Amino acid sequence: MALTTAQTGLSRARRGVAPGGPGKPVNRKSKLSAQTRKTFFWLLLPSVVLLILIHGYPLVYASIQATHDGSLLDTGEFVGLDNFATVLASEAFWKAARFTLIFTIVGVFGSWLLGLGLALLLRTKIPAGGTFKVLLLLPWVVPIVVSSTAWNWLVGTPDSLIPSICRNLGLGTPLFLADPTLAAITVMVFKVWVSFPFMMMMTSAALASVDTTVYEAASMDGATRFQQFSGITLPLIARSTYISWILMTIFCVNDFPTIYLLTGGGPVDATTSLVVLAYRTVFQDFQTGPGVAIAFLMTITLVVISVILYRQIRKSSVE
Amino acid sequence: MTIKSSVTSTAFSRRGFLGFAAAAASAPLLAACGGGSASQSGGGSGVIKFWDMPWATPAYNDAAKKIAEGYAPASGNLKASYQTIQWANFYQTFSSAIASKTGPAVSTGGGFQAFQFEQQGQIAYADKVIDALKQNGQLADFLPGVLEPFKTDKGYVAVPWQLDIRPLWYRKSLFDQAGVAVPTDWPSLLEAGKKFKSMGAVGFATGSGAGNNIGNHLMIMMMLNNGGGVFTPSGELDVMNDRNVEAIEFLLELVSNGIVDPAAVSYTTDNLNAQWKDKKAAFGMLTLGVPQRVGDTSGDLVVASPMAGPHGDKAALIFPNNIMMYTNTPSQASSEAFLVAYLGQLKQLWQQKLMNALPVFKSITELPEFTSDPNNVKIVKEYVPIAKTFAAQGTTLNANLAVLDGGQALNQFTQTILTGKTDAKSALQAFQSGLQSVLKK
Repeated sequence: MALTTAQTGLSRARRGVAPGGPGKPVNRKSKLSAQTRKTFFWLLLPSVVLLILIHGYPLVYASIQATHDGSLLDTGEFVGLDNFATVLASEAFWKAARFTLIFTIVGVFGSWLLGLGLALLLRTKIPAGGTFKVLLLLPWVVPIVVSSTAWNWLVGTPDSLIPSICRNLGLGTPLFLADPTLAAITVMVFKVWVSFPFMMMMTSAALASVDTTVYEAASMDGATRFQQFSGITLPLIARSTYISWILMTIFCVNDFPTIYLLTGGGPVDATTSLVVLAYRTVFQDFQTGPGVAIAFLMTITLVVISVILYRQIRKSSVE
Repeated sequence: MTIKSSVTSTAFSRRGFLGFAAAAASAPLLAACGGGSASQSGGGSGVIKFWDMPWATPAYNDAAKKIAEGYAPASGNLKASYQTIQWANFYQTFSSAIASKTGPAVSTGGGFQAFQFEQQGQIAYADKVIDALKQNGQLADFLPGVLEPFKTDKGYVAVPWQLDIRPLWYRKSLFDQAGVAVPTDWPSLLEAGKKFKSMGAVGFATGSGAGNNIGNHLMIMMMLNNGGGVFTPSGELDVMNDRNVEAIEFLLELVSNGIVDPAAVSYTTDNLNAQWKDKKAAFGMLTLGVPQRVGDTSGDLVVASPMAGPHGDKAALIFPNNIMMYTNTPSQASSEAFLVAYLGQLKQLWQQKLMNALPVFKSITELPEFTSDPNNVKIVKEYVPIAKTFAAQGTTLNANLAVLDGGQALNQFTQTILTGKTDAKSALQAFQSGLQSVLKK
């Protein structure tokens, strides 16, 4: 009943109907005087100008570069969509796209699962829980330059700590960064390690808002722990989960330092993501147009993914 | 069972969220097109702006700054200011500054940077500087062959000021322990390498991990050592020549025999330095100043004589670093006067032992501060006369070499060779195709 009332209220609010109002949308514009609108305009103007400068100008300039055969200094000749065609026909692009996809899926869901597990663990009363929480945040807090160097010390050479342990356990000497497959796995594990604290914090915040009496009621109704988790916890934190997925997807797709500092995109392009490829294309091969075209394609893909996930959030809200 | 969470009741604007998502998603785009930071205003400020790179420790930049800012121009010429530019994204920094007319009047920089900016019409030719050096006697002081690579049809694109070279080094104690002679040719390298492999040491140390270009330089050096190279004497791309194939086949043989470390493909500069420091590396190509670089100045790390290839060729890879002048200057005559004066003061940097590079002037190679290091003397005596640039078999440098040096094609080729999962012709073919797709005609 309460739910129905809330939904009705929400529906009215979305239509712009005031609580207890006549049921007709209120024309808010009409309530604003010309002077107020003018004031709003002048108050908003600095922000709008700033946004145009920060986002608008580079976007326009990037679209010019993407459609020209130039350099960082010289715009060059207009080539239409040739740069996009070149990029889309390139094997390196699709290899990088495939790696980016896998890296993102592993990065998002790996860090989410680990973050969720730890957030649930931290909900229980454990000794020194606060300290534990702070320590768990370290991978996210420590600068990536430092953590990538530390990981290089751990796995970079056959005499590093982890390969040495493997060797002593009779598992051979894995070349974590020299073997293409192992390097890709190592980079993904590194990403999960760097990212799980963010997911843990997002999930912890969502879990903190869940009323514990719901669990007591469910328990009295005979719900098992798994049923409580799948029927109560996950739906209650769904919205936060979707938001964290969107953000982590963007973080993973745009992640340059994690990959570049640990492997440089190698060996033999095994860990080259789209953002690394875009960087190398522009700044190492000096192919500005194709490099910016890659960045454009990434942006479009990210916006599409974000919209799809956002719709999922709205759907979960309605439910 | 579905329950509406209190979290979901939080106000959440669709437009607001999409705006945020779009802004975050556009980060790669902004990063790709974003300009570097130009930290000083334009060239019309009444001073010659000299931009320099961190070529050695910060003490080097302090000393260079002292020289530049201590420059007392003749009447009518402008004084100079000094600024250090970091290597990170340096090309972007220069490009943005030049595009916005806030760049330097004179600078050091990447080895082929002058040619890249010459293509854009941003470089002022140094012919008048060369004339002035001729008049003051410094022109005759250049080591043989270091000036010629900068001469184009239109004039001298830049003036060399130091040489970055890739000599072969060995650890004496490891050779004594193994009881083998220092390699003088490819067969002796193979034999010594096998011995080191059996001892658990590395017979031919290199690396091509993140940020490490030693492996890339090794590939080209081995081609040159066999009389090959990436270009013909006239500058045409010539990757598939027989000498290159032979050189790469030999490298693959070293890899398959474990003489090159199987993990070398991922070795950063730190990893490689550690290998030398920890007495794991017996022999390999590196930069100047390896003892100082790895922290072992006991005399155990020594420059080897250049090896002979199977056809008797000897060669070393050299990068003539240079100082260039830009068209955007408050006074071209002042730029030229400053450059001539600065070149005349370079010896101070070697006298203070601040440089980790070879000088371009014979007189500096004769300074006691320079000759006190026997490795330096050996490099000047044995390597400089046989040294070739990336342009080999051509002799004139050009903008395409920047793409070869830092580009993806060479790095991918190197890593393919170091993993050993290829054959020489296939790898070279892929290298050639990669280069063809990015080199300007």
